[in-house]
Amino acid sequence: MNISTELRQIGVIARLELRRAFLSKRSFWVYLLALFPAVIFFGHAIEVKVRQDRWSREGTVQPAVLDRLNRGMTYNEVIKAAGTPIRDFEWERRRRDEDDTVRMRHVLLFDGRRRSDLTFRNDLLESVHTRPLASLDEDRQVFAGVFQFFFLRVAVFFGCLGIFLNLFRGEMLDKTLHFWLLAPARREVLLLGKYLSGLVASSLIFVLGTVLCFAALLWANDPVEVQQYMNTAAGHELFRYLLATVLGCVGYGSVFLAAGLLVRNPIVPIVIVLFWESIIGFLPQMLQKLSVLYYLQSVCPVSAPVEEGTPALVRLLLSPAAPSSVWVAVLGLLGLTALVLYAASRVVRKIEIDYATD
Amino acid sequence: MTAPEIIFDDVSKFYGDVLGVNRVTLHIPPGITSLVGPNGSGKTTLMNLMVGIIRADRGALTVRGISPDHPEQLMRIVGYATQYDAAPRGMTGLEFVSMALMLHGFTQAEATRRAWAALDRVSLTDAAKRKVGAYSKGMRQRARLAQALAHDPDVLVLDEPLNGLDPLVRAETIAAFREYADQGRHVILSSHVLQEVDVFSDQVILIANGAIMAEGQIRSVREEMHEHPSQFILHCRDAARVASMLIGDAHVSEVKILDDGAGLLVMTRRRDDLAAALSRIAIAGIEIDGVIPADENVDALYEYLIGGGR
Ligand SMILES: Nc1ncnc2c1ncn2[C@@H]1O[C@H](COP(=O)(O)OP(=O)(O)O)[C@@H](O)[C@H]1O
Ligand SMILES: [Mg+2]
Repeated sequence: MNISTELRQIGVIARLELRRAFLSKRSFWVYLLALFPAVIFFGHAIEVKVRQDRWSREGTVQPAVLDRLNRGMTYNEVIKAAGTPIRDFEWERRRRDEDDTVRMRHVLLFDGRRRSDLTFRNDLLESVHTRPLASLDEDRQVFAGVFQFFFLRVAVFFGCLGIFLNLFRGEMLDKTLHFWLLAPARREVLLLGKYLSGLVASSLIFVLGTVLCFAALLWANDPVEVQQYMNTAAGHELFRYLLATVLGCVGYGSVFLAAGLLVRNPIVPIVIVLFWESIIGFLPQMLQKLSVLYYLQSVCPVSAPVEEGTPALVRLLLSPAAPSSVWVAVLGLLGLTALVLYAASRVVRKIEIDYATD
Repeated sequence: MTAPEIIFDDVSKFYGDVLGVNRVTLHIPPGITSLVGPNGSGKTTLMNLMVGIIRADRGALTVRGISPDHPEQLMRIVGYATQYDAAPRGMTGLEFVSMALMLHGFTQAEATRRAWAALDRVSLTDAAKRKVGAYSKGMRQRARLAQALAHDPDVLVLDEPLNGLDPLVRAETIAAFREYADQGRHVILSSHVLQEVDVFSDQVILIANGAIMAEGQIRSVREEMHEHPSQFILHCRDAARVASMLIGDAHVSEVKILDDGAGLLVMTRRRDDLAAALSRIAIAGIEIDGVIPADENVDALYEYLIGGGR
């Protein structure tokens, strides 16, 4: 039996399994998890587009008008330059320590791209807040947060759990595992073939989720800003997000494949891995290296926003220390995966048919 | 070189506390060999051990010189039709056979061609493109047979292959086994009905409670069964005296006083003679409180197997 025969067998096993991985009913909720953030971001983008459309119809002002707004201008001066505003809302405010009532006024102007929120006090312009309708910087922060806290920790985690845990365990439950064990293939070959099928399936599904989400992020924002982003950081950031997505599948995939070989009850590995991955911030440096999240953290291009004033403990939970260099992290994760797969191969060599009749 | 054999050397398998098979030693030459025993006697366990999908707790075995530790070698020469009914989800009969062939290294085209040929041998071509999950029990049986045959193995292992076959297909299948075995290959099959297999088997292995009761050609198995000694436990107060009266009898091969002294164990080759001896002892005024058969009653087993498992 030579290497090329074995590689071919790995290919055949992966191909046979792949179709089932994509189409099985079990993977339906994996799609849901993977596409959920994209749905949210597209929802946000559509909301922005609709607003832009409506405001454009209701009347835009020249960009120069927004640039010339200054504190101290009177309401009439502003209206003369800008025409009818999109929103014009007036109210009175009386303070207990003041004798007079104060007339407050909020006015919204739109130049087709930027919105200006003006506040008048007794008809004098008190504050101007001008910004793009959607803020790319803000959205990138939100994206970073959603990616790290939902996509990696929940979607990829549970998606890989669903796909990889069942590669062996599911076939034991279905009483179909013997089909594979009766193949003239080393058990390690079977393991790698199945792992590869799970990896291709999960990577494709989650890469799709990431790409769609990123597309929605770009679509929602101002074309000029987006163009500038594309010319600078966009390619690099998208690459890093995709790398983190695929590495997440590589790492969690191996862990759950091994777990599916070891136990019948899926709750046990879920709880153990979930617990382990969430406390890594508290662990000594040595042990942190045995966690998938530790490496994924530093592959992400934008660090996720953590609110000011978050207690140190929670901060540690949310963003533990991570290796400084991306490539160190990639190699580290691949090393960890190799270790887990090696352990799994020791187990799979002794695997037995055990179709409990219950 | 001597004929390639399947060798079990003192093999035991336990499922936790449950006995699968116990201290099995076998040398199986090529030809048709039938494993016969009641349900739960360990036939499937023996077959699963043979192909390495379960592992022996003790002992060693080889199939034509190959250990089950090397499925990549062993499964090239073995085809196994299991008794497990399920096929991987969503597979058609054709895929069920052709995908197994692709794992053997055949190209897709060659695997498909061979799969059609194998399905044709079990008269399943009409249903080839339907899902295995929608097959009847008998059709699934035949699909598994086709899969086991498709790569032309030297050792064909078939778990209850005649179950659920209609008489015509059954006759054809048996003829196919014969032809296969005549090429110097192994055909190992199991059944819980001795009469179903004894006419066409070259060798029969009787198994009960995880132990081999008899093996050999069917004639010698019959004799072995009838000569097989049976054990009885006699409960009596004066065990030593009863032992001394029995030990000289020709039909008695062994007498052992129980550790607690409250009885003895007798092994006899003829039960009628033992019954006569016991009535002599009773007439001599020695009280015997009870006579209990001590082992699985071999005659009863034989009757059971002959009678078609009823
Ligand atoms: N996976 C298993 N777990 C526990 N006990 C089992 C298992 N498989 C078989 N057994 C037990 O081992 C014995 C032999 O079973 P088996 O080999 O299936 O017999 P047969 O095929 O002759 O019906 C039976 O007592 C059965 O209950
Ligand atoms: Mg059985």
